[in-house]
Amino acid sequence: MDTGNNQTGSEPLARNDEYLWDGSGDPDSEIRKLERLLGRFRHHGPVPVFPKIVPDRRWQFLRWRMRRFPALATAAAVAAIAAVTFLAYERKPAVTVVGWDVSRLAGTPRIGRNTISGKETSRLRIGQILETDQQSRASLRAKDTGHIEVEQSTRLRLMTMGAGLNRIALDRGTIHVHIWAPPGQFVVDTPSAVTVDLGCAYTLQVDDSGAGIVRTSLGWVGFKLNHHESFIPAGAACATRPKVGPGTPYFEDASATFRAALARFDFEDSTPQQRTDDLAILLAASRQRDALTLWHLLTRAEEGQRVLVYERLRGLAPPPAGVTKDGILRLDQPTLDLWWNELGFDDISVWRHWERSWSGPGKPVLAK
Amino acid sequence: MASRPDDSVELLMTGPGCRSVREQSASEASEDAMLVDAARDGDRAAFGRLYDQYARMVHGVLLAKVPLAEVDDLVQDVFVLALSRLAALRETGRFGAWLAAIARNRANDYHRRSLPEDQLVDDTSEKDIGNCGDQESQAAAILDAIRNLPAAYRETLILRLVEGMTGPEIAARTGMTHGSVRVNLHRGMQQLRARLSSIPNSNGPQQETK
Repeated sequence: MDTGNNQTGSEPLARNDEYLWDGSGDPDSEIRKLERLLGRFRHHGPVPVFPKIVPDRRWQFLRWRMRRFPALATAAAVAAIAAVTFLAYERKPAVTVVGWDVSRLAGTPRIGRNTISGKETSRLRIGQILETDQQSRASLRAKDTGHIEVEQSTRLRLMTMGAGLNRIALDRGTIHVHIWAPPGQFVVDTPSAVTVDLGCAYTLQVDDSGAGIVRTSLGWVGFKLNHHESFIPAGAACATRPKVGPGTPYFEDASATFRAALARFDFEDSTPQQRTDDLAILLAASRQRDALTLWHLLTRAEEGQRVLVYERLRGLAPPPAGVTKDGILRLDQPTLDLWWNELGFDDISVWRHWERSWSGPGKPVLAK
Repeated sequence: MASRPDDSVELLMTGPGCRSVREQSASEASEDAMLVDAARDGDRAAFGRLYDQYARMVHGVLLAKVPLAEVDDLVQDVFVLALSRLAALRETGRFGAWLAAIARNRANDYHRRSLPEDQLVDDTSEKDIGNCGDQESQAAAILDAIRNLPAAYRETLILRLVEGMTGPEIAARTGMTHGSVRVNLHRGMQQLRARLSSIPNSNGPQQETK
């Protein structure tokens, strides 16, 4: 793993990396000139006046009361148990006031059995299902999370909503998503993969068989199932299939030959020879921009084929210092990440920073 | 392809002096956590100190993606947004990474609400680098060259060369590892040098007379 401390191989030593790193060592005259020229764009300005902060002291007060009055704490515990028991026996649906605001765009979308008509705004609560028919469309909005347009013949459920995680399950249909919550906090389950927002806008489609496709228009999206992951930057798409998971992402302006070979490679139950043939077509038809696809193929190709992908990718996007053939063939994660960053899509450390386990079947969870 | 972020931190922080770097990062994270807690309790001065410490980072992240004229307003937007969501921050010691994510999202949102990205050009950057007679237009042309580097490099280089932050500061403020920042600076600088030297009459960055 190249830590940046050891510049070896074909890459020459920087003229003065220490000065670039922390300003120590002999000043590098080029960098000093850049600093001087670019310093005019530096942030200046006093601290603005921020709005008054209203702290939420309710729970602090309650904790203080509990410590001061043990009897009150005991009574509260008994009351809580009684309330939970009562609710369990009553079998009332578990709902909270949180949810997404739903507006009708066309026709009569439904939340459960209730139709939405006119200009009224309804609320999709945790555990509820929003469904559109062949004539209806709807719009969902959550202030701190984002906006979703729901196309015709779509069915989705709100699984989780709370600080740090919003989760929707798309059973079938099409949604256009724009998210402004921090990366990794908005997740869509489909029957064959989990879509994780990384600061972006995208369209997600799922058909009746559970197969899906995501198309990114801004930022990038992570598509994940267990340890199988795909990154889809703006302009790219990625298909997913039940029992297989996410395929390999590709730019939609790739040649028809390239896309057809990729679809066969990802999802068809081919013989080893057919897979080798499809890979050969992919490598031959790939352009520089298709480095996106080839980088993903490094982890999807069989061991014997991986070296072919490595050689082709190396020709399209030369690896940076620290990326060795051995590291790539071993699928060393930091080495793969280093090469990804060189491809110019986005910094993969953003994904690694926010990465967590999103896999597994989602069940409706009440917001905390 | 899954590796835990903490694992990579261990892998990357193997250079000399990494212990002191770790201690410094831990102490900064702890100070941030105290300031975030104080701000949550209504202490506006504490939030002001967070602004002082992070404004350059937010400015740099935005400058890597949006026109110069819009950046100052967006910096304020990002901090107001962060203030309104402060209660939702689960790990208060990771305030910087959280704030950087909000800034990146705000920059993306700016593009969604505005013109397509390829039409968003600064007035200053439209000037032909070949005609750079003065330092201002030369600086604008260099900034434009940085903004055309791969995304992984442009943000780090802007934080270093424009905002004047050191590598360790960039790592501490953005939540990136020292190794990532160091590699981004090194490779980004290499690519910037190549781009500037390939532009005819760019006149920069030439060696400064010592």
